[in-house]
Formats: sequence, structure tokens, C-alpha cells
Amino acid sequence: MRRLILVAVQLLAATAAFAQEPATRAEELARQREEKSRQLAPPEPGRLERTLLALENGRLFERILNPPEGFYPKIGNITPGGGFAIGPAYRKPTLFGERATFSAFAMGSFKRYWLAESRLAWPALAGGRLSADVHGRLFEYPQEDFFGLGPASRRDDDVIYGFRSSELGATAGVRPVPWFALGAKVDQLTPSVGPGNTGRSIGQVFRGSTAVPGLDDQPDFLRYEFSADLNLREPQGNPRRGGQYKVVYQRFDDRDLERYNFRRVDVDLQQYVPLLRDRRVIALRAFASTADADAGQDVPFYYQRTLGGPDDLRGFRQFRFRDRNVLLLQAEYRWEIFTAVDGAIFYDAGRVAPRFEDLGFDNLESDYGIGFRFGTRNGVFLRVEGAFGSSGGKHFILRYGHVF
Amino acid sequence: MFSKASSGPAKAGHYVLPLRSVVSAFRRTVLATAFILGVIAVTRGAAPRFYPDDPIQVDRDAQLDASNAMPIEGSNGYDFAEHTFLKPGDRRDIPAVNVNTMDEVPDSSWFTNRIGRRAMAIDEIVRGPNSMDTVVVDDWPIVRDKTSGITPGYRVTDPSGRLYQIKFDPPGNPEMASGAEVIGAAIYHALGYNVVEGYVVEIDPAKIVIAPTATTVDMSGRRRPMRRSDVDRLLARAARLPNGKYRATASRFADGVPLGYFKYYGTRPDDPNDIHPHEHRRELRGSRVFAAWLNHDDSRGLNSLDMLEGPAGARHVRHYMFDFGSIMGSGSVFAQVPRAGNEYILEWTPALKTLITLGLFVRPWILVDYPEVAPSVGRFEAEFFDPAEWRPEYPNPAFDLMRPDDAFWAARLVAKFSDEALRAIVAKARYGDPAAADYITRTLIARRDKVLRTWLTGVNPLVNPQLSAAGVLTFENAAVSAGVATAPAGYVLTWSRFDNATDSASGVSQEQRVSGPRADAPPAMLQGSDYVSVSIQTMHAGFPGWEAPVIVYFRQGAGGWQPIGLTRK
Repeated sequence: MRRLILVAVQLLAATAAFAQEPATRAEELARQREEKSRQLAPPEPGRLERTLLALENGRLFERILNPPEGFYPKIGNITPGGGFAIGPAYRKPTLFGERATFSAFAMGSFKRYWLAESRLAWPALAGGRLSADVHGRLFEYPQEDFFGLGPASRRDDDVIYGFRSSELGATAGVRPVPWFALGAKVDQLTPSVGPGNTGRSIGQVFRGSTAVPGLDDQPDFLRYEFSADLNLREPQGNPRRGGQYKVVYQRFDDRDLERYNFRRVDVDLQQYVPLLRDRRVIALRAFASTADADAGQDVPFYYQRTLGGPDDLRGFRQFRFRDRNVLLLQAEYRWEIFTAVDGAIFYDAGRVAPRFEDLGFDNLESDYGIGFRFGTRNGVFLRVEGAFGSSGGKHFILRYGHVF
Repeated sequence: MFSKASSGPAKAGHYVLPLRSVVSAFRRTVLATAFILGVIAVTRGAAPRFYPDDPIQVDRDAQLDASNAMPIEGSNGYDFAEHTFLKPGDRRDIPAVNVNTMDEVPDSSWFTNRIGRRAMAIDEIVRGPNSMDTVVVDDWPIVRDKTSGITPGYRVTDPSGRLYQIKFDPPGNPEMASGAEVIGAAIYHALGYNVVEGYVVEIDPAKIVIAPTATTVDMSGRRRPMRRSDVDRLLARAARLPNGKYRATASRFADGVPLGYFKYYGTRPDDPNDIHPHEHRRELRGSRVFAAWLNHDDSRGLNSLDMLEGPAGARHVRHYMFDFGSIMGSGSVFAQVPRAGNEYILEWTPALKTLITLGLFVRPWILVDYPEVAPSVGRFEAEFFDPAEWRPEYPNPAFDLMRPDDAFWAARLVAKFSDEALRAIVAKARYGDPAAADYITRTLIARRDKVLRTWLTGVNPLVNPQLSAAGVLTFENAAVSAGVATAPAGYVLTWSRFDNATDSASGVSQEQRVSGPRADAPPAMLQGSDYVSVSIQTMHAGFPGWEAPVIVYFRQGAGGWQPIGLTRK
């Protein structure tokens, strides 16, 4: 009897189990959903996703690093060779009925370079055809490299000088069409040269303004500048085709000593030859600068053009060559690796000369190298390059922004 | 089973359990249990192969209240990184899990069979999700800015308070994005997806009204009142028509509460009705086919929309496809880039080849010539297009897991769009240049034909099996019907009786060879059977893969033999 009862109990249990099996497809699905309804949980994005979402929604990078208005930290380079710099900045973009913008910043680097600048600008008057600003800046560069003047300057003569100046001036621009602009600018300059804050000072190797114009005395200047800029690059920030052709004329008026009045003309020509539907580019640049002092006068060394560094002769140290006249030729083959990364093989050549007629294609200093550029079609934000083949040794370059 | 002690002294109410008895009782219990389970297994199987309601036409996935579902917000950066560097989702190569026993997608909160189940009039296809012929948004107040995406725009309300999103065309490509938007919406709606209403509108800048409560977020991240200058800045990034107006898309917000987007993998953890992993949903896997056809390179989770709909206590989530501004030749704010559809944003193999060879390796898509047509077309072509090689902006788990049977299902839907229907859909975009409309139509037709040649032929393409009461089997060869394959040499059929309870076949017939899609079932096989199955191989020299059989199951019912199951091997 007991056995029968137990068998019956088991059969009942089995029957109950059987009854729990769905009889229809709809019931089967409904049961799965019932089961899930007992295990519901809110969506929980991971920490990385939450962080990226907060950054995107809050526009934290823009708000912190580049807000349209208010205070923000300014980060970057003050001048080539000045090292990483940071400092407070402020901008107010809506002055005079949103026509004018005011900006000011001060920044310093670990190499004790510092710069303070303020600007009141009207960037888009007359429907964007006119622009103007007034500006002032004060800076000190305490570790500027100097190797002597001329193409034969010696690497072993490497010395340091300090350079301090203020600039106070105004700019006006006309842009009748988007691809052409004329500009005019006037600045009062108050340069001052010192021994520098580290290493071998310029005065220990070079003595007197005869050998190095402007070393002993630095007058104030008025600088007048006129420029014409034909810019047909496409796209502007990371060009694949077109070109840019720019001419700048400057006049430096010695306001104190009447010994350093001079003129300078810079011609900067860039051409971009697209290959394979813009996925490969031959980028060419020719830059020439010539300075001509008034009779019996000279061009102070600190205003002479230089060659050497991550933007021109990349196989040489910053400011390795310096003189009144400069010729720079650069060629790059750029190829798109994928959307955000380009490769580049480059060749740089150039020289400085005391006389314009000494510039030529003979005896050019040169280098070559390979690099990678990170950015978009709108611009390059980082360059990593290796430069070789020069008499200046090998150079590794990590730099924000494009070379040209 | 315990027993009373049979010997020795015993006290009333006390039971003694000798070891031998215990062992014996245990043995008997095990045997009885095994017997019962065996009986159940024999009578029950695990579950019948086919339930009485198979094949279900509707998956009732709105029955449980989902009121507690929470909005999900997506990060563009994370979404890109996750799908590019990781492989989220269940990557097993398994058949789609939400199909019915006939290998079709039932209606659900995700998908409603439209053009795939019934003939749609061209007018109906063109109208798509729209409830009105057109809207005029002049004087509709702007209530806030547009919160996501790169296209310039804002939100307005109609006189009844319904919310619309306005999106403008880019200056260099007037009519491009708005045209893409309405064409995409009409096609995806006809395919079966949930799509919001969208209209091409022209906006008179003089009639733009800003509601006093309208706000925008400035670049500082602060929300502040919207000003006319904000609108002017938006319009500066928009294409102006010769009549001085701005052409745009007005997309009407769906009913309900927005819950953010759905992912192309996993399920919503807060939705009780969402039980099928999205990467294994056929309508999401198969949407790769539609995305390839239309060059919908932005087909990713962030361009979807979940809405909580229904009355309190009975709310459910409806899943929408969203934002078609980046389809065909449109990249929303510029003409589509040549890479789009041909390569992921970051794809290692071609990138490394290009890197190592210093650019001497040239990706083939770089050399594609795009015809000189109107700017409203953007960059769209059909000659180089290879459906099987098409790619979205970055990997999509459901696309990755698409199998030939998923693609075949989708290609059958694509085949439903006639040339005339496509021409009418394109006309809805109201391109100012007739040549633009003509080019887009021709390109869609050419891409459709490539899609069909690629994916209608990837499996044995037999569809629509019927078994008459008289025992005549008919079926259709979808590839032949679509004109992408010649008639096969013949078909080889093998009939079986089918035991639904045990999911097993018996009484297998001899092979039957027929030259066309019609055959007589062996009478003896049908006689007295509740279920029969027939395995059909298609013999075609050009498609040897078609010899993989399609097995069709029929059930004897009151109305004759009903097809209840279909399996593609």
C-alpha cells in the first residue's frame, strides 16, 4: 500500500512537471519573459563608458581647454624651443553687440619662458570681409640658442642668450574673397638681450655689436608690416591640393639709435599635388627671406631669420643657422594610412647667407626623415618624426601642429 | 520508501530501519523514478517540434509592463572603441533565435511585416510612416536646440504641441541630407521597421519664431535662453535655396517616453519583454543587407531609438530605426566620403599594408570614379559596390553574425521593391534637378540587383511551399523569380512521415526528381499521416550550394496540409 502511495505521489509530481511545459509557442515565449521579469536590472554602463559620456555631454574638453567665454588654462608652446607652457587665459567673445572679442592670457614654461598677451579684436566686420585688432604682449625667452651668424657658424659655438620684449600694436585685414587677404600691421617693439639663464652665455663667446649686430645695444622699434595671402589650399587645415602663396613686407624703424633701420621681405610658397584622389600628396614649400638695412646700418641678430628646428631644417637644432637672408626648400610625400593617421617622408634643404645673391642651390644644408601625423582633414594636432642625414645628427620630433 | 521492521521488538510508533531494508528501498525508489521519467520522456519527448500555434505570425513582446525601463544614453567615443577594439555580444555562429518555424520574422515591437507579407501599393510605400502629406513649419516656435548629432538643427512644436526635429542640408550639398532622410525612412518603413514620421520642408528665415522658453547649450556647456543669433549661426551652416528659404527635414517625435537607443547585442536588462539577444535577431542581422543596399554606413546602435509606449501599468518598449541622413551619397554634413561602405574607420589589414608599403598599396575604393552629378546626390555609385564586402563605419555585432539564411530573408524583402516603387520613393525627396532623381533611382536599382545576385543565391532559395489536399507540392525559387538565376536543372525530393512528438522522420521515400517547382507527394506517405516532411535539393550547375536541402514540414489540418516548418541546411 505504501509503495502504491509513493508511486502515486511521484506520478503526481511528474504530472505537475508535465503541466509546467508550455502548450503553445506563445506560452513558451511568455514563460521566458516571465522568467526575465524576475531578473530585471537597470542598465549599468561601465566606468569607461560613463566617463566618455560625461566628457562628451559636458563638453568638458571644450569647456576646460577652449571655452568660448570665461577663464580657462592655456596650454602649448610659447615659441619654438620654449618648452611646454601653461597659464591662465580669459576670453569674452560678445563685446560691442557680439562684434568684438577680448582675450588675454599669461603662460610660462618649465624652461622659464613666459608670455603675457591681450587682444581686442573685431574678427568679422562688413560681413566677414574686414577684420581689425589692437594687441599688446610682453615676453621673455631666457634660453635662446645662438651659434653665430652665417652659413659657416660652428655647432661648437652654441651659446645661450635671453630675449625680452614688449609689442604694442594694431592690425587691419581685408578679405574680399575667402581665398585672398590683405593685411597691415604696426607694432612698437622694445627688445632687450641678456645673458640667458643657463649654459654658456652669448657674451662668453661673442663680443660686441660689430661681430653680432645688436648684442650690446637694443633700441626700441616701430615695425610696419604689409602682407598679401592667396590661399587656395584644400582643405585648409591639412591640405591635399591647391597652394598658398604669401608675401610679407616689414619695415623696422630704429626709434633710439638710428643704427638698425632695415626692411625685410618674406616669400612663402606652398604647393600641394594630389595623387590617387587626394590619398597621397606631394607637398612642396619654398621659403625665402631677405633683409636689407639702410646704408651704414645693420640688422640686429635677434631679428634675423633662422634655420633649424622642427619646422624647417628638421635635422638641425633650433636656430642652428641665422643670417639676413634665408632660403628653405621642403618636400614631403604624404600618404594616408587610415582616416586619422598620415605617414610622411620628407626632405629639407636650405641655407642662410649674408647677401641675397649668395643664396642659391649650392651648398645647401639638408636632411631627410620619416614621420606620422595624427589628426583629421581639418588639421594635424600631433607630429612624430625622425630626421636624419644632416651634419647636425639625428633628431626626434614630437610637435603639435602641422609643419606646413 | 521506508518499511516497518519485520522482526525483533518494536515500540509503538517507532520505526527501525535495518541497513538491508534501506538499500532495498533506495533501489526500488530509483527504479520507480527511472521508470516514471522514462514514461514521461517517451510520451513527452523534450517538447514537440511544432506547437499548435506554429508558425507564429506575431511575437507578443508587449505583454509585460516595462514601466521601470530606464533611459540609456550612448557615448559616440565608447561605442566606436567598444565595437572596434572589442567584440561585444555572443559570437556563436547560430541561427537567428527570433524566427518562427517557417524561418520568418514574426511581427513584434521591433518589426512589422509589411512589404514582405503583402503587396503594398506604391502610394503606401512612398507615404511610409507619415500620417500627413506634408507639413508647413512656418511660425512653429523653436523650443530648444538639437541635442545630438552633427547636423545643424533645432526642435519646434506644432500648434497641437507635438515635437518635431528640424535638420538642415549642408551648404555645399543642398537637398542631399533631407532627400536621404525621407528616402531612407520610406524604405525602412516598407521593409518593416519602426520609423518616425519625416517631411521635407522649406523654412522661411523671416518666419522663424523662438519660444520665450527656448534654450540652447553654448560651447561652455551651459544651458541658456536661445537667441536669434544662435539660429543665424545654425543657418550659416545650412544650404539656402534660390528662393531664400532653407530646406530641411522635419521629423516628428514618436509617442511615448524616450529610452535612448538599443544596442546591436545583448538585451535591455530592464525590459522583461526583450529576451532575444539582439545580435541573434534576424531583423537586425538582416539589416546589414538593407544598409549595404542603401549605403547606410551610420547603421549603429546610436542611430536607433527605444520608446516606452502604452498606458500606465501596461507599457512596453518599441524599437525604432532612426536618422537616415547618412545614407546613399549623403554624409549628413558633407558628401559621403569614398571610404564609407568600403572600409571601417579603423581597419588594421589595409592600414598596415599601406603603412608598410609607404602608400604603394592602394585600396581599390580609392580609385572609384563618382559621376559628376548634382551636389544633392553626394557620393553614391553602384559599379564598384560589392554587397558582400560592404561595411558600416565600424563593426556591428549583428551584421558580423549575419548568416546566409539571414541575408536571404533580407534579400527577399529587397526584391519586393520594383523599379517603379523606387522611382516613386525617390520622387518623394523632391530633388530640384531631375537628373539627380534619375541618377539616384538608377543607382538604387543597380545596387538592388547586386544585392539580389549576392544574397538571394547564397542558400537553396526555395520559398512559399504549399501542399494541396490532393497531394500536389508547389514551391517557388526566389532567385529565379527575381531574375538573378536561371531555372535549375531540376529538384530532388525525399518525403518522410514526421513524428512531431519525437522530432523524428520515418518511412523515408525514394528520391523523386522533378524538373520544375511542382511534384506529387507519394499517396502512401500522406495516407494516415498527421505530419509529413519533404527534403528538397535544387540542382543547378551554377550554384552547387543549392544542393543543401530545404526541409519543409506540413501538418494535416481541417483545411488540408499546412506548411508549419522550414529548415535551410
